[in-house]
Amino acid sequence: MVIFSMKCPKCGLIQMLGATCKACGASVPNPETHSAQMPSQSTGRTASLSQPPSPTIQGKPPQTGQESSQTRQLSFHGTGGSLYGIYIVNIFLIIITLGIYSFWARVRVREFFMSQTEFAGDRFAYHGSGKELFIGFLKAMLVFGVPIGVLNAIPDLLDIPEWVKIVVGLLSFVVTMMLIPFATVATRRYRLSRSSWRGIRFTFRGLVWDFIKLFLGGSFLTTVTLGLYYPFFATRKYAFLASHSYFGNEKFSFDGEGKDLFGSFVLAILLTIPTLGLYWFWFMAKKHRYLWDHTSFATSRFLSTVTGDRLLLLKLGNLLLLIVTIGLGWSWIRVRTARFYLGCLSSQGPLDLAGIEQEAQLATATGEGLASFFDLDAGFDLG
Amino acid sequence: MTSIQTDWEGHYLDGQTAARQRVSIRLMRLGLHVTTERGATLWWPYEEIRQTQGFYSGEQVRLERGGEFSEALLVSDTSFLTQLHQIAPELATRFHKPAHRRRRARLVLIAALASMGVLAVLYLWGIPALAAFVASRVPVSWEERLGRSIVTHLVPPAMRCTDKTRTRVIDEIITVLTASLPTSPFTIRVIVVNDSTINAFAVPGGYIVLYRGLLEKTQTAEELAGVLAHELQHIFKHHVTQALIQHVSTGLLLAAITGDTSRATAYGLESARLLGILRYSRQSEEEADAAGMRMLLESGIDPKGMIAFYELLTKSTSETSSILKYLSTHPSTGDRIKNLKSLVEQSQPKSVKLLKGYDWSNIKKICQTTSSLN
Repeated sequence: MVIFSMKCPKCGLIQMLGATCKACGASVPNPETHSAQMPSQSTGRTASLSQPPSPTIQGKPPQTGQESSQTRQLSFHGTGGSLYGIYIVNIFLIIITLGIYSFWARVRVREFFMSQTEFAGDRFAYHGSGKELFIGFLKAMLVFGVPIGVLNAIPDLLDIPEWVKIVVGLLSFVVTMMLIPFATVATRRYRLSRSSWRGIRFTFRGLVWDFIKLFLGGSFLTTVTLGLYYPFFATRKYAFLASHSYFGNEKFSFDGEGKDLFGSFVLAILLTIPTLGLYWFWFMAKKHRYLWDHTSFATSRFLSTVTGDRLLLLKLGNLLLLIVTIGLGWSWIRVRTARFYLGCLSSQGPLDLAGIEQEAQLATATGEGLASFFDLDAGFDLG
Repeated sequence: MTSIQTDWEGHYLDGQTAARQRVSIRLMRLGLHVTTERGATLWWPYEEIRQTQGFYSGEQVRLERGGEFSEALLVSDTSFLTQLHQIAPELATRFHKPAHRRRRARLVLIAALASMGVLAVLYLWGIPALAAFVASRVPVSWEERLGRSIVTHLVPPAMRCTDKTRTRVIDEIITVLTASLPTSPFTIRVIVVNDSTINAFAVPGGYIVLYRGLLEKTQTAEELAGVLAHELQHIFKHHVTQALIQHVSTGLLLAAITGDTSRATAYGLESARLLGILRYSRQSEEEADAAGMRMLLESGIDPKGMIAFYELLTKSTSETSSILKYLSTHPSTGDRIKNLKSLVEQSQPKSVKLLKGYDWSNIKKICQTTSSLN
């Protein structure tokens, strides 16, 4: 099959043939065809498409009825039993490999969750590998983990003056504060680059430094305002992560503002004691709905129908399950939760999915390794 | 003879746009012959195909071909796979067989039982054995460094009783106890804490932390010697280091299973500081008891003191639970006392009075020059 894609020499984005790069704008003088696909020229049994694929570059292919329907529902098909089977095998292999298999185990679980999530009739796919996670982990440990561990341990292991200990402690804190946003962005970039729908990959194009500034500033303000800044901080973080995400050559965008959540946030604080904290479920539901309702993709917009009461029921049900099964029911809990959130999510409005083109990056998993070091879970937000 | 269905309906993704083309797929002996709705044909040899979805009931079959941004074929009916296996059995081994799902469930059950077995063995035998092995081979200088930092953490200088004459008395007891030993690599240092808790514990590298509360409960020097002998054995046999390694290993094991790597590193760093959980295994305690008793006998110290003190501590009185603290980590202290008594009966205690002429009640004033905690 003949390929009509190219790789930008400057930023590495793989995209359809053209004169300039769609991401960084660099001009591509003589675009080489991307050779990632296996050549299928063996023994002359190849048949080239009788119609060259140029229509997919210059024009949009004819829309089928499904593509222009106005509502596209997300759903989750996985069962607790299947996931449980995966967990058991994972645990067994992790034990006999003394933990090395845990990276491959994580990939299996992610593959399961993505393959069982359906959008508009097609399932997602995950393309990461355990080897990538393992290497990412090693790199993260070497480059970041060891120095931080040393910085943390120095005060205890050496006999040094008090002020040096304080300086070292501060240094360790600052480095950690900068590494968390770094890891968040790097993880997201990695995971999105390994996720696809109908074969088209997602990408994240936000810049690390921008997010570090956002994170440091937001954390500072949240601390200084004793937490009142939180709705603004959370919204700004989500805005950054969402609006720099792409599916193929189309972008997600976000038009929400922190102030819209501020009222509910303050109300939740005030009602904490009277409702014994239960009102927070309503706030969490409102935040989830708000963030998704203000996320759009190309010409469509998302819609979430998560409500506080159903969220509370979900969490209570999960807790009950956990207790009754003495923790063994963990897989059913995860499946229930995924089914709930995804079942409430849909994409509304016209959307020409067939016309979306491949634009992909091959990001490394170092950020992922770092994120697990900090116990972050920058999960793939479409689930 | 059942008819084999060779022609199937499916969809094709070309990996360059999100357009989904309807195709018809014909199963052939060496590969798939695909015809798109626009009339183009593709040939997919089985050796170049990977199956990435379709392992669970209700899941569509997804076959991929190519490198990073592969093409894909989607077939919603999994009996497609069954037919594939019938048409090209040797080449189809790379594809999932729906009929094998029962077998998969059974394998999972076996894996579950095997995991539990392996975990049990590791936890009950493997980790303790490993910990004991490693602990006895840790260099003394490492243990000393660890012990020093622990002691600085737990017992800051302000809390220590430093009355010179009285600490020298305690050191004398230590000298008598260790006289029977060949050269020991450890330098024993006893630190007395100005606290009314009735407790004492050993720290790696030769430190023994003694609480004023316990000191005040002793009536004779022989009783304290019993306690010190027990703690000395914890040091000589590296019990604390062993407990630490066990604690860290168990934590690592749990972290590996749950895939929670940040906890793993946290465990590694935190355990070195958190010696509040100085919990020995019952085996360690019994070892320290027996070896401590032997040490007393060899030094010629009257063993009745150790036994008497243990009995005093086990008597549950209306006093605070701190009495139980020293012996509290394990039940059946009655057994331990019984064992000690039988050890004494087996030998011929030849006792020399410790610290002849010293009024033992004097020792209780050891903390009077330091600031009290309570």
